[in-house]
Amino acid sequence: MEPVIDVVNLSKAFGPKIVLSNVNLQVQDGESLVVMGGSGTGKTVLLRNIMGLLKPDAGHVAVDGKIIQDLNRDELFEVRQKIGMCFQMAALFDSMSVEENVGFALKRHTTMTRAEILDRVDECLNMVGLKDTNKLKPSELSGGMKRRVGFARAIALKPKILLFDEPTTGLDPVMTDVIGRIILDLKAELGVTSITVTHDLKSAFEIADRIALIFRGECIACEPPAAFKVNPHPVVQQFLRGDADGPFLQDPPPPKRALARPVVHPVHID
Amino acid sequence: MLNSILEPLGTNILRFLDQAGDFAVVSGRAFRSIFRRPFDLANLMHQFQSVGVNSIPVIMLTSLAVSMVFAVQLAYGFKQFQAEGLASQVNGLAIVRELAPVISGLMMAGRVGSAMAAELGTMQVTEQIDALECLATDPVHYLFVPRLLAAAITLPLLVALSIYVGYWGGYLLLVGVEGQSAFVYANDFYKLLAFRDLRIALYKAFVFGLIIALVGCWRGYRTQGGAEGVGNAPTSSVVTSSLWILVSDFFLTKLLLV
Repeated sequence: MEPVIDVVNLSKAFGPKIVLSNVNLQVQDGESLVVMGGSGTGKTVLLRNIMGLLKPDAGHVAVDGKIIQDLNRDELFEVRQKIGMCFQMAALFDSMSVEENVGFALKRHTTMTRAEILDRVDECLNMVGLKDTNKLKPSELSGGMKRRVGFARAIALKPKILLFDEPTTGLDPVMTDVIGRIILDLKAELGVTSITVTHDLKSAFEIADRIALIFRGECIACEPPAAFKVNPHPVVQQFLRGDADGPFLQDPPPPKRALARPVVHPVHID
Repeated sequence: MLNSILEPLGTNILRFLDQAGDFAVVSGRAFRSIFRRPFDLANLMHQFQSVGVNSIPVIMLTSLAVSMVFAVQLAYGFKQFQAEGLASQVNGLAIVRELAPVISGLMMAGRVGSAMAAELGTMQVTEQIDALECLATDPVHYLFVPRLLAAAITLPLLVALSIYVGYWGGYLLLVGVEGQSAFVYANDFYKLLAFRDLRIALYKAFVFGLIIALVGCWRGYRTQGGAEGVGNAPTSSVVTSSLWILVSDFFLTKLLLV
């Protein structure tokens, strides 16, 4: 079966900095892929290439068999209507209310009446657990609420694919769990194909059908959560342990306090 | 030694050409997008409000101040030759042909162009423009077109208002303070002018409106580098559009007066 999202030999560099190098990923219909990796390893760049916001230096991304970089703008916009993108910091339009944000794409790309749009907006906000926030401005929302409005905006057009860019970064553990559950609910209710970029191991193992790990621009593992847990690769194991010591960091980490050399002249505060 | 001089020079020339090319391409996209669906009337009306209606006080005040101070200078200058009667004629000529369009253009570059650059710049660094792209909406169509239309249509109207206010500014000074006859002032103000002069002033205003909107939007759209970038965008937009207004004013005057 042809994958819904097919990333083939994708490479991208910004000046001398190689961000992605020969990445290959396939996401099947209805599958949920979680992409993990250290900060600055190109996870967001991968999503931006899939959306066509960036052009690859080599390789390509195909969505539903269409190679993104070969499409003209009208064709690209057609493909984008099938994809919902949830940004790391939500990227809500700050001059619009929650209702206008969620209904934005409906107003522009459908022939729905105002009443139908408002119904769909309510439906989307209910799905993400945000009732009665329609008239609020983004500045009146908390970080977690903004992300959820971003989710509602992304699902308004009933997309086939959802891309989540670090949906839980900067949120407290409870809100992180809430976001994880919402992603699971969306997956179950809408049956979408999704790619989630996250650092949060707990929600990653809950959400994922497969987990990919990007290390220094390369995809070093892509397998179901159970197999990922026992993957013998030292980088995978270090990432799962969350330990600073190991091959993951390019620069050596500072020593742990207990192992550090003793302080010769400790300062005494009376 | 030679390399150290030529290298930065070459880099700057290439950067300038790159920017000029990018500006031309984005402007072309903006003009092409004017006739594309969907037409966002609410957004256009909002821009008419913020570009046009909200600029009325500043245009009135500036026009009044400039026309009055110019009348003071003319009255004083012509008094040296016992030719006070010429002051109203020259005042009319200067206001309609140059002062109203250029001063309004420069004021609007500061008030409206900078606001466009700051707004789009903030949207760029907070990923709102990327969000527009992801929602299958062309940012040039959605953001540029209403601003471009609003500036190009309202600037001639504001210049017409500026001429009207300028008439009364001169009146206040020459009739109210210098004691000239109101009847003579009313007749003389338009004496050296033809209808063509008003038409040229409105043409200029239209071109200045296009410059202000395109430069302001383009600077904002191409903002990079967080808060510093957002801070630079309005400054650079005001400087660039003011320069272009002055340069194009010269060429338009030369071209249209012939």
